[in-house]
Amino acid sequence: MEQVFDSLVQFWQFTGFANCTWQHLAMIAIGAVFITLGIVKEWEPMLLVPIGFGIIIGNIPMFPGLNIGVYEDGSVLNTLYQGVRQGWYPPLIFLGIGAMTDFSALISQPRLMLIGAAAQMGIFGAYLLALAFGFSPSEAGAIGIIGGADGPTAIFLSSKLAPDLMGAIAVCAYSYMALVPVIQKPIMLLLTTKKERLIEMPRPREVSQKEKIIFPIVGFLCTAFIVPSGLPLLGMLFFGNLLKESGVTRRLANTAGGPLIDVVTTLIGLTVGASTQADKFLTGNSLKIFALGLVSFIIATTCGVLFVKIWNLFLRPERKINPLIGNAGVSAVPDSARVSEVVGREVNPNNHLLMHAMAPNVAGVIGSAVAAGILLGFLG
Amino acid sequence: MSKPVLSILLCLLFCSGLHSQNLSDLIISEAMPGCPGSITDDYGNNSDWIEIFNTSQGTVNFAGCFLTDDLSNLRKSQITKDDRSTKIGPRQVVLLYAAGNSALGTYYLNFTLPVGGTVYLVSNDGRTIIDSLKIPATLPEGMSISKFAHDNKELLFDDIHPSSPSPRSLNGRHEQKTKSQIMKETDPHGWILTLIAVSVVFSALLILFLIYNLSGNIFTGKYKRRPGHHKADDETAAAIAMALELASGDDAVPAAIAMALHLYSDDGAHDIEPGFITIQDKPSAWRNKNLMFRKTTRKI
Repeated sequence: MEQVFDSLVQFWQFTGFANCTWQHLAMIAIGAVFITLGIVKEWEPMLLVPIGFGIIIGNIPMFPGLNIGVYEDGSVLNTLYQGVRQGWYPPLIFLGIGAMTDFSALISQPRLMLIGAAAQMGIFGAYLLALAFGFSPSEAGAIGIIGGADGPTAIFLSSKLAPDLMGAIAVCAYSYMALVPVIQKPIMLLLTTKKERLIEMPRPREVSQKEKIIFPIVGFLCTAFIVPSGLPLLGMLFFGNLLKESGVTRRLANTAGGPLIDVVTTLIGLTVGASTQADKFLTGNSLKIFALGLVSFIIATTCGVLFVKIWNLFLRPERKINPLIGNAGVSAVPDSARVSEVVGREVNPNNHLLMHAMAPNVAGVIGSAVAAGILLGFLG
Repeated sequence: MSKPVLSILLCLLFCSGLHSQNLSDLIISEAMPGCPGSITDDYGNNSDWIEIFNTSQGTVNFAGCFLTDDLSNLRKSQITKDDRSTKIGPRQVVLLYAAGNSALGTYYLNFTLPVGGTVYLVSNDGRTIIDSLKIPATLPEGMSISKFAHDNKELLFDDIHPSSPSPRSLNGRHEQKTKSQIMKETDPHGWILTLIAVSVVFSALLILFLIYNLSGNIFTGKYKRRPGHHKADDETAAAIAMALELASGDDAVPAAIAMALHLYSDDGAHDIEPGFITIQDKPSAWRNKNLMFRKTTRKI
């Protein structure tokens, strides 16, 4: 009888109930909030649902040494987590993004590319603030990239520059990407007048197949020669786009932009979520990172909109740009472009800004990859 | 496949075979004759030792390579091919004991260090010498002969001199500051990096803008050149008009003919104008000759 009792006690010690702390419960609650936001509000469900469930998986209280945790060498979760840790997943996601993205809007209106550059100020604003908050330069660089509003880039850079902060940075980046409509809209309304919001832009010209094929090749050569450290992201992005536009590799493009990106997104979301274990996540640094991430999004949106407003001062009336597409310079594709469309149509239901906003939006993807390459080159 | 292409491919294959797995990236970075107090091998002996360093950024497997102290016998002591631990990681070292008996283990050589002689690292083909290191006859006891890289980034081992032994570690400056530490010292507030990075991002996208703007103009026909013969056509039209005027003595007819000729030569009469239906001659599958005719058999 005593042996049975001892066995039961031993079993109890292995259960989650015996090892549970308030931190575990807090993290499980955060995971549940993510899932709720994804399902009920439909805010980036493809990201928030896997991340939310990953957070719950990673925070099930357990007895260490069972070789099942995400940080325990050789465990299943640890093996899947290597894609994040070693930076395999982000370039694969970029391959899929390239294969799915139509760069026609950008090719037809290349001047809008500069808005994508202006919006990257969020990255460097957050970098400066993070240094002021006492983070080391490499940590500050990893935190700053949240301002690019690009989850894969944030994971890629933080895995290289600040692996310890990667969980918090990734969750922060994806959370704010999901909250793009909430964060950006008030800033856009605050910084623009009704007259500016009514600006109608000429319809972009049609782009030939040849131009679409030349775009990824020239784009890659230019950016990779300037920032070779951004090679994994830029190479995969433009390669994916070449697969799409070449017209002869449709099957590869469909795979890269379909099943492959779906699989990688699922794994990256789940493992990033699982990496946010209570003892590593519930720290003062995580709170600072979330605050800095929010500020970086605000700076990026503000700079994008203000850049267009200033630019408009030098443009002829028929060439003026609607400043509502300035927010789309961050690379949250296509959410930020969608925000431009929605806010624009609130003022004039016939003014469709989506196709115009897609230009700075995809330029933002390129811009954030270039910025990540620069930070990696200087701090890696 | 054409002969030149085949030849190039064969040459490439041959060249890559010469230095399979980048064996050429290996160097003998340090060597030391054994003496009391120096490091001991697995058997507790103060054996001579040789350090091999992988200068590349990839793993190199040196199984099957040879070490020798005799140029007339390049295959003197071979590293076993059966041991999986013969892979040297990027910028890592491996230590070999010149104990005079290679049967002691994978990392044991069947000769001792020749003081005043030279040790050679030979590729697994048994012919190509990858690197060598001369052991000075005047090497002080307790000292090793080492190759130093002054720049740990470039790793040019151009300085060879006796030094305190440092087995299993990179020779030269051991403590290198990380880029982050350097940045913290040189740019504590981050303004320099920010300015540079913002400039680079803008420059990169500005260059792309200029290129795509140019290509867009080319593709939309903005930079379409007028045919060179137009000037001549205009002159011809004017000459015809003058001749007609002289012949007929009437202004209206030659003016109309000249205008028609001018429009024809300038292609102005054939513009695609908004609001006008223009019938364009577009190719379709119905007219495709390739589809209508059978392919001719190729003559051999």
